[in-house]
Amino acid sequence: MLFPTLTFGLFFLLTFCLVWGVSRSNEWRKILLLLASWVFYGAWDWRFVALLIASAVLNWGGARLIAGSDDPRWRKRVLVAGVIANLGILGFFKYYGFFLEQLGDLLAVIGFARDLPLVQIVLPVGVSFFTFQGMSYLVDVYKERVPAASLLDITFLMSFFPHLVAGPIVRAADLVPQLRTTPKLDRGMVAMALLLIVWGLFKKAVVASELATQFVDPVFADIAGHSRIDLLLAAYGYAVQIYCDFSAYSDMAIGIAALFGYRFPRNFDQPYRAASLQEFWRRWHISLSSWLRDYLYIDALGGNRGGVWYICRNLMITMLLGGLWHGAKWTFLIWGGLHGGVLAIERLWREYRPRGAPVLPGWAGIFITFHIVTLGWIFFRSATFADAIAYLRGMTGSGVAGMTATPLQLALILFGLAIHAAPPRLMQGIALRVRTWPAPVLGVATGATILLIDAMRFEGVAPFIYYQF
Amino acid sequence: MTDTGRSTRGETPSPVDLPGGGARAGLGWAAGSILIASLFLLLTNAQALDGWAAEQEPSETMIRVSDATAGWLDATERMGAAGPRAWMHGVWKRMQAARFAGQAAAGE
Repeated sequence: MLFPTLTFGLFFLLTFCLVWGVSRSNEWRKILLLLASWVFYGAWDWRFVALLIASAVLNWGGARLIAGSDDPRWRKRVLVAGVIANLGILGFFKYYGFFLEQLGDLLAVIGFARDLPLVQIVLPVGVSFFTFQGMSYLVDVYKERVPAASLLDITFLMSFFPHLVAGPIVRAADLVPQLRTTPKLDRGMVAMALLLIVWGLFKKAVVASELATQFVDPVFADIAGHSRIDLLLAAYGYAVQIYCDFSAYSDMAIGIAALFGYRFPRNFDQPYRAASLQEFWRRWHISLSSWLRDYLYIDALGGNRGGVWYICRNLMITMLLGGLWHGAKWTFLIWGGLHGGVLAIERLWREYRPRGAPVLPGWAGIFITFHIVTLGWIFFRSATFADAIAYLRGMTGSGVAGMTATPLQLALILFGLAIHAAPPRLMQGIALRVRTWPAPVLGVATGATILLIDAMRFEGVAPFIYYQF
Repeated sequence: MTDTGRSTRGETPSPVDLPGGGARAGLGWAAGSILIASLFLLLTNAQALDGWAAEQEPSETMIRVSDATAGWLDATERMGAAGPRAWMHGVWKRMQAARFAGQAAAGE
């Protein structure tokens, strides 16, 4: 069930009426939302609802055992077992095939070719998101950052449909305290929620879908048949597409959750206006980057406690694993390695920068960072490493002349970049005005904007890019 | 990355928290706005509803639903309520079809 579809619209309307209309009890309200979330997830594949519930029970049980004991060794053992179980779920569904394939290739190289038990494993949508939420909950209970929560609250945290399949990664500390009392809606929250939903719908249904289906996908599918200018524009086009696609999902998830009275953290903050890669990661997929920073970089690897080379090692490991989180492909590893390498170089430059060395102007930092990120996106988007190399070679010299990008596609790429120059809190400013409008005015304005988007949208809806992760 | 700018857990700001608080209670206001938006779309975008009904797995119920949405689409077209969407879609299609000088036209 995709957000920008009428099926989801009807599901949302029904759930909204049921949740706000039927029950005044907070517990029943959560149960209704939980059932709705399982219907939402089950619409994709019912079998994996059981996996979702099992994962929630596992993390609830693990946290209870940790919280109920004063023995540090027992607490640590349960934590390690819980993290291994979560990684086991993730590893089985996401990486089993990849690692078996690599093992098969390796055995063939050393002359021990064997028929390995390769099976096609269906990847449960959102498994990377809900297992990361489960793991962070266990670590937070272990470190006594949050108290152990009830089974209902943990199942709700991991299953709540707005963020279930593509984030943001909502931590227990963000959501569980909100579950203790019946939420209340205020006008500011509603105004911002509706703006986020409509803005997300526009970014996904118009900008991302139009660029993907009409320009970026055809160029990446036939690299040799396109000119240098097309390849360059499609790389920029993909940078805009993936931002508009993923940030649209986050915006809509935050908006939908807000209409049920829950606050999700911000997940994007105009990432292409970052003047360094470190800043980029404070603005892009914030819930994942802060997760990796807090639980992997700091908790597991030690953060900045060692010397500068130790920090660089940690940055590289974190970003390589961040790349692998996206999927079992060499191109994701290279993407992570590129980011890790540049983050390490930035760190070394700050450490060993010669005195009196010129400081880059802000615009140059933004320009360079954007192009490093776009280079990474070529690996991220390409089906194979060979395709990515062919793409880069084509950008330096292609035998094809001309340009297939249309004026509309060029305008959408420029628009997708230009929105990064907008005032950072523009939408909140608009919401402050909208909250003073009478309901009929807001209703007609919302309906008219959705009508306009529907008239512009590409026929059909492509799945969100982050559904595959 | 790096932990120098580490945020405190559970205190990541949400974009739905507006500066100065959210002002008045909003459930009735939200419900009213969503209801009016839905009715507005039901009137002006019956084509989407009809398209959705046509895409569902065929069953006796869906055939009845599909007949009803087709009838509603006809009614809104007779009223002229479907006109704005059709006009905007036409403008968008022309924008999609526009080409730079020297480029092949769409479909060639």
